[in-house]
Amino acid sequence: MSPPRSNSAKIIDGKALAADLHKRIGTAVMALKREHGVTPTLAVVLVGEDPASHVYVRAKIRHAKDVGLGTIEHVLPAAISETELLGLIASLNTDDSVSAILVQLPLPDHIDKEKIFSSMDPAKDVDGLHPVNVGRLWGGGKGIVPCTPYGCMVMLKRTLSQLAGKRALVIGRSNIVGRPLAALLLSEDATVTIAHSRTENLPARCREADILVAAVGSAGMVRGDWIKPGAAVIDVGISRITASEKAFKPDGTLKTRIVGDVVFEEARMVAGWITPVPGGVGPMTIACLMRNTVIAACRRRGLAEPEL
Amino acid sequence: MSGVGGDRMLTEAGYQNASTDNRHKILDGRALAADLRRQIIPQIEELIKAGFRPNLVSLSIGETDASRLYVRNQRRAAENLRIGFAEQVLDTGIEVDQLLRVIQGLNADPRVTGIIVQRPIPSHLPIKTVQAAVHPLKDVEGMHPSSIGNIVYNDLVMGPCTAVAAVELLKRTKLRLQGLEVVVIGHSEIVGKPIAFLLMSEGATVTVCHHMTRNLAIHSRQADAVFVAVGQAGLVTGDMIKPGAALIDIGINRVMGADGGVKLIGDADFDSCVEVAGWITPVPGGVGPVTVAIFMRNAVTAATLVKERYAQTPPSGF
Repeated sequence: MSPPRSNSAKIIDGKALAADLHKRIGTAVMALKREHGVTPTLAVVLVGEDPASHVYVRAKIRHAKDVGLGTIEHVLPAAISETELLGLIASLNTDDSVSAILVQLPLPDHIDKEKIFSSMDPAKDVDGLHPVNVGRLWGGGKGIVPCTPYGCMVMLKRTLSQLAGKRALVIGRSNIVGRPLAALLLSEDATVTIAHSRTENLPARCREADILVAAVGSAGMVRGDWIKPGAAVIDVGISRITASEKAFKPDGTLKTRIVGDVVFEEARMVAGWITPVPGGVGPMTIACLMRNTVIAACRRRGLAEPEL
Repeated sequence: MSGVGGDRMLTEAGYQNASTDNRHKILDGRALAADLRRQIIPQIEELIKAGFRPNLVSLSIGETDASRLYVRNQRRAAENLRIGFAEQVLDTGIEVDQLLRVIQGLNADPRVTGIIVQRPIPSHLPIKTVQAAVHPLKDVEGMHPSSIGNIVYNDLVMGPCTAVAAVELLKRTKLRLQGLEVVVIGHSEIVGKPIAFLLMSEGATVTVCHHMTRNLAIHSRQADAVFVAVGQAGLVTGDMIKPGAALIDIGINRVMGADGGVKLIGDADFDSCVEVAGWITPVPGGVGPVTVAIFMRNAVTAATLVKERYAQTPPSGF
């Protein structure tokens, strides 16, 4: 067996970057309270019993409280009608104490999620999903940028000296990650390709990329030999897989673990930089949610936005 | 006018004969524009009958010879289709608040179904704020953030005219858009980026290149379809494209012709590209006329939306 290569990838530590951002957000929130009597407040709407969603929402609320944000939680039964949900959003829109609204996805099938996004006040739409925010992202203008792509950009900017002219390939064209991230990379003047399930010769396309972002949600899809040596790899995927066929939890079910879209152990031998899963994109997404809440609160009051 | 791209299948023989006669490769924008106009005529008739004639108001802030010519072309296109067209020329010194009030007045006026803010506007006016002030239902140029956002969500109501026109020309080739390798050269907010997400939604693999891209030719040579929209005459040459690819040229450049007169050319070097490409749009006569036709289609869509909006409103005062 060959010894580990000394030039294996540097880890982009999402946890450390997020902790740093949390600290700065905490300071900004304190200043807002002290100087303007404003407590930025995040309202979270959770519909249904999806266990993963409950875990995410708990984490978001905990982090929000940690940085001093106000929080409001609405947990609704899966059977709630679209009209009732629209009514709740309307009341949060007009509630002056609410700075930002988060509707946790996924929503039950009987609810038209795009209708829900469109019903939010764009100034409170903390995930940047309202068509006006999407339009501003692509068409210019100051909107709210979706949390996960923004977090990816922070990590890339901290890692690479410049993005302009770099070849970036984003796998996945979802409205919440792939597309907005492509828009952000383009505004930094990277040469951007958006690849997806219909793309031909995906491994070859990946090998051309200086910046490779995997945002598909398919465990271990991207192999080490797909990666250009020295590339920066951002792994947005989160999948839960069986840890081993022989390892059981006390309740008799198989142990599981969280993995990304990239086979980490292979990729780190080739890439220049790589985000781990967990501990990469995830923590940054939550930090950016806090950031967006603070920014939204400042804009509503016409206050100067802190540098976050 | 000889064959339109869409009437023809991609055949090997097509390429081999190309050097002797390239006319069949031309994607004829004027012919496509005429088709698009024909499609909307019945809708216009119906709207007029229902009392909702599409009525456009063009706002110019200051005037130049070029903008006057441009607005005159729009007026002619509109009036030929019995679409109303009124023109307001505002003083270049207008303050942003005054301009926004003018737009709000037009937003509220039920007789106005579409509003056009002619560009460029003076630099003291924030273009994004002005575009966002136009009511999305009357945004016939497709420049309101919500119009763009809705396209990203695959809900194409009124898209930015030039980008939609360029994509319509590609559709004429009958190439299968799913999995198609597309390179867009130019990442402007009104052309390059919208083309990219329109095609992404159709399942194409899209790469957006621009002034910072290294080795543009490496990208463009891989593409089944190339869109160029940078405003740089002769940027794309025949050796930069894959044999048989579709080339959609959105650039419009004024250059001095051999006879000393001014002529219009695109961003592609037509003579070398037509030898290699499978399809190519000419300049003039390519994207330009289709853009005006899409603009008229948007005007009809806007009038239809206004009509539907009124139909929904319950009668009041009874």
